[in-house]
Amino acid sequence: MGFDLFDFFINNPLTNALLLLYGLLGRNFVLAILVLTVIIKLITLPLTFRQQVSSMKMAAMQPKIKELQEKYKSEPQKLMEEQRKLGFSPLSGCLPLLIQFPVLIGLYNAITRSLAVTPMSLLDLGKHVYSFLPNISSLMPIDSKFLIWDLGQPDTAYLIPFLPIGIIPILVILTTYLSNRLMTPPSTDPQSAQMNQTMQWMMPIMFGMFMFTAPVGLGFYWLVSNLMGVGQYYLLKPRIDHAKRQYALPNAGGTAAVSNSVVKSKSAATPAPPAPLPKSKGRGAPSIELSKPKDKDKNKK
Amino acid sequence: MKKFRGSVIALAASALVLSACSGGEPAPGGFPGVIVSDTHAYLASNFALYKVSLDNVTEVWRFGAGKNPAQPDVSFAGQPVRLGGAIVVGGGIGTSMIDNHVYGVSDETGLELWRFRGSAESREYVDGVSTDGKLIFAPNGDGNLYALDPSQLTSINEDGVERKTPRLAWTFAATNKLWSRPAVADGRLYQASMDHKLYALDAATGRLLWTFDKATAPIGVRPAIAGGMVYFGAFDNTFYALDAATGALKWRTVLDAWLWSDPIVDRGVVYSADVRGKVHALKADTGQALWWLETRNAVRAQPVISGDTLYVVSLDTLVYAIDLTNVRPAADGRIEYKDVTRKWKDEVNLGRRMTSTPVLSGPNLWVPLFDGDVKLQSLDLGNGARKLAFPIKK
Repeated sequence: MGFDLFDFFINNPLTNALLLLYGLLGRNFVLAILVLTVIIKLITLPLTFRQQVSSMKMAAMQPKIKELQEKYKSEPQKLMEEQRKLGFSPLSGCLPLLIQFPVLIGLYNAITRSLAVTPMSLLDLGKHVYSFLPNISSLMPIDSKFLIWDLGQPDTAYLIPFLPIGIIPILVILTTYLSNRLMTPPSTDPQSAQMNQTMQWMMPIMFGMFMFTAPVGLGFYWLVSNLMGVGQYYLLKPRIDHAKRQYALPNAGGTAAVSNSVVKSKSAATPAPPAPLPKSKGRGAPSIELSKPKDKDKNKK
Repeated sequence: MKKFRGSVIALAASALVLSACSGGEPAPGGFPGVIVSDTHAYLASNFALYKVSLDNVTEVWRFGAGKNPAQPDVSFAGQPVRLGGAIVVGGGIGTSMIDNHVYGVSDETGLELWRFRGSAESREYVDGVSTDGKLIFAPNGDGNLYALDPSQLTSINEDGVERKTPRLAWTFAATNKLWSRPAVADGRLYQASMDHKLYALDAATGRLLWTFDKATAPIGVRPAIAGGMVYFGAFDNTFYALDAATGALKWRTVLDAWLWSDPIVDRGVVYSADVRGKVHALKADTGQALWWLETRNAVRAQPVISGDTLYVVSLDTLVYAIDLTNVRPAADGRIEYKDVTRKWKDEVNLGRRMTSTPVLSGPNLWVPLFDGDVKLQSLDLGNGARKLAFPIKK
């Protein structure tokens, strides 16, 4: 058998963890998805937070970076030096995301593998179950029935009879939109903000379209994942709001009209180093909306 | 214009992603199956059942099904059977739909003679169908084994079209999916089920004779019947031998991984293979492990024997020819392929995954391929040289 690093470190542990949970949780596959997603989201919570804060920092630096790019157009070496001095690292926002991404793909693979809708996927599953875990094979085949759904099949529980749009794809669209809206880092660049805004409705539609033909089990995973994302946002909100204040960013996830004053403002262009984070973890802590007219005026001055 | 630039880019990206999901013939959902007569091969692969001339691999006819006859979208899977003047094949799992019909197709013309649908809840036929020469035994993903009598056809109206359907002789209901064909011998039928059980039934009436329920995981193989014994492997990594008359356990041997390859018995040795790529040889009377050979990926197809050579096809895209007269295992039972192949210089790499049992015909081994443009490849049994490939490249 060939050795596959991604299988060994990501796919196989997640597949077996999912099956183990399925066995422990009374052979309820949706519950197993829910619990595993919660566990993964909790483990990756610090990374999510770092990524959010880092993205905001990079967004706040954009005007200054543009200035530097203009200034050192013909001196790329100098430009890099200046950017480094400023603490600009385009990868710092992506890195935590890049670490989380394989886990998300692994979870997706674990679900499709475990449901084993086709003979080929069952064959694939057989290659990856741990033989040292007792009774994992005895859990096969997965009970794919959940309420009115067959988790291995596309959703045919239509909202409106004769209109083939299932309940789960609709919920996936709504929660993806909500999650994207909250989680998208704000942008001070009008073009990026416009792009973010477009992606906020484009992504849910794309996922929704995919869900029309994908197994319902995957739909449940996206649903749980999105809701967890929303929950995570509110859990981290006090800290994110604090970071926003530090970097003088608008509050809405990339959709707020970004005023030129913010883009041009000196305070935004050269952010002060972040102050220590508030110790209070009280939810819904009031945030300072810098994009409000009053604040904009202040920035102009 | 600048305002819409983001939208345009996003739309273009979406179109690119979506277009990547289409185009070309999609990979099949089920395993292909092939049988041969003296002159023709009958191949169930993806969206068609093909009749192919063995002389020159030309297509005699192809049968497709679906709502739109011009664009057949029904996926066929598993092994077909020949009964009377009909080729019988089951509908399988396609890319976007499951077909729950069994079709009888005229051997002469390739046109539909009849079709059968168990119920609205019926599902796929993963491994095809079996026959005892009178009835067709069709194991379905809904857990039902349907016994059809194609000698008695009646008319039905399906989707507004008048069609013929065979008489349903009997039905046996297991408690989970049936993803393997039954073995039929001496008026008995042995059906494995994903409900972890193996059932013995009277082939004529469907009466349950005995049930073996000691396996702790699904059973997905067609058992081998030899010398009054029933041999099969299960997903609990265990190989079982039962008394065919009573279902009593004679022996069991624990191996390394799920066993999903139909076993074969030859000269007192049982050959099987597992999903981690090991081919196992066990003594048929005691279950004692004799030797094992490791391939590089899962083996799901049944090994086949011609003379003293055991042929194995694997998901690793290789075909192995093991000279059984030359096997000298190491202390742990392992054999190295280079030591046990004399006829073939090396493994033959067909470059495509293989999941289905190859068939022997004269000096050729016909191998169905799981994916790719070539659906059926013939090899010279003597030296492994590639001979004919279907469909012929234009």
